Amino acid sequence: MRNKKILMRTVQTILAIGITLIMLFPIYWMINTALKPSSELLLPVPRFWPSQVDFGSFLMAWEKVPLGRYLFNTAFVTFWSLFFQIGTGILAAYGFARGRFPGRDLLFLLVIGALMVPPQVTFIPLYTLCSRLGWVNSFQGLILPNTVSAYFIFMMRQAFMTVDQSYIDAGKLEGLGVLGVIRHIMVPMCRPTILTVALISFVGSWNDYFWPKIITNKDEYRMIAVGLVRLYDVFGTNEILENMNVVMSGALISMVPILILFVIFQKYMLSGFTKASMK
Amino acid sequence: MNKRQIKIKRERIAEFLCCLPAVLLILVLTYYPLAELVRISFTDWNMLTLDYNYVGLKNWQWFFENAANNRFLDSMWITIRYAVGAMAATIAGGILFALLFGRMNRLFGAMRAAVVIPRYIAMSTSAMIFLFLMNGEYGVFNYLLSLLGLERVNWLTDGNIALLSVIILTGWHSIGYGMMIYLSSMQGISREYYESAALDGAGKLQQFVYITIPLVSPTTLFLFVTQFISAMKVFQAVDVLTGGGPYFSTEVIVYHIYALAFEDYRIDRASVVSIMFFAFILLITVLTMKWSDKNVNYDA
Repeated sequence: MRNKKILMRTVQTILAIGITLIMLFPIYWMINTALKPSSELLLPVPRFWPSQVDFGSFLMAWEKVPLGRYLFNTAFVTFWSLFFQIGTGILAAYGFARGRFPGRDLLFLLVIGALMVPPQVTFIPLYTLCSRLGWVNSFQGLILPNTVSAYFIFMMRQAFMTVDQSYIDAGKLEGLGVLGVIRHIMVPMCRPTILTVALISFVGSWNDYFWPKIITNKDEYRMIAVGLVRLYDVFGTNEILENMNVVMSGALISMVPILILFVIFQKYMLSGFTKASMK
Repeated sequence: MNKRQIKIKRERIAEFLCCLPAVLLILVLTYYPLAELVRISFTDWNMLTLDYNYVGLKNWQWFFENAANNRFLDSMWITIRYAVGAMAATIAGGILFALLFGRMNRLFGAMRAAVVIPRYIAMSTSAMIFLFLMNGEYGVFNYLLSLLGLERVNWLTDGNIALLSVIILTGWHSIGYGMMIYLSSMQGISREYYESAALDGAGKLQQFVYITIPLVSPTTLFLFVTQFISAMKVFQAVDVLTGGGPYFSTEVIVYHIYALAFEDYRIDRASVVSIMFFAFILLITVLTMKWSDKNVNYDA
């Protein structure tokens, strides 16, 4: 019985390690490819590590497309998207969690209803709207659809509802208005939830592809996820394979900010899943 | 009105004003576009021009009369097949991974993080990596197959395989998510269930089938609904990996709408297809909710 248990555990460990290695393989191959010189990309027997580490492909990626510009655009759009999402989200979450004005539940239903409408359905009218405003190829156009998140409001409302009423009453007695209560009581008490949801928004905005692809077609406003495909496309069909190290270098650069966040905030990012599943 | 009543009234107004920016933005960004979609569907707007005329039901007529060859049904069918594959990866794969990686120690914690990491890599980046891995001639996938003595596979150029390739990519991307959701759900199951089952002589497999699976059914339902909808919206993976090809074999519904609007510039027709797509998603969501009220176990 004991031996059987030890055997089971060993098998489990070996299997788990094997599957982890398979899951990591694409990432390993990206790094491996990025560091290879071009001459080693198309060997009949692929090399599982470069014979010499070649950082030339990183410089090449930077030369072929304005990666710096893409990264700046992405950071800029992500910052303002988060700014508006957090701002509108926290205010509305308080109003819906704690407010007692008439029509509150009806308005909240409107917010929840928006969760059911995917951006893949609304992108055509949003595009024509931006087009009429002259916002095609502009930061306003990129940021506009991300200024509010029904999901953010929903999650923050859940968190705000758990705050004990006595704290709020005490704050009001001290003379805090609605904004004061939000700033000095709700936000500090719900910091982990805010951080988790903000991280999800950050990753979503940094990696966003669909809307940026539609609303921009100039390098000046292109974001990194779309820019990476641009880097792939600047090489013709004939050249692309021998330049895959350049594309993989670009891919590696594009994910650095996310990987840094993951290392620092791993706990919050993983707990975000759990939060998302509780209804 | 006394002072206190005025103060309460002011507070109600302030609370309402808190909700106002978000509600207005949602009206503009979600509900106005839905109404606008319906309006555009009655015009002949082709995006190359600024003017358009109202043409009544012409686009709806186009949609229903040519249902057999206007690609809507084809692309819906492709998307549904994709969705089934993607859900199998997240749900069945997720629950199996949760069992395998469920042990609570440092090594397993690190491995769990490694399995989840793909989720945070942009889909376009992931697709770019798989584009190279799956290259017919130089891709390492085919090299590994040849080591096993198997024939090379045309992952991206064979119309029968390409959709599976997309599923492999998105499965790799999201299986860790399914695992994490199931892990947190399994932790909520009381140990007593397993202990008493073990006393009755139930083996690990029986415990899994008769205890774990029924008690995580709310989670399964949650994943079922959310993953189905997110699979129906797939675009990025297809756009980068296969571009809808070869021969339309991976042209999923959102790609179809995108191509109608931004390649053919027929936003009038694209609006009709968008509305039908949205109606389908709503219908499925409502049906699942109704069904689940009867059949899901919330006792865990």
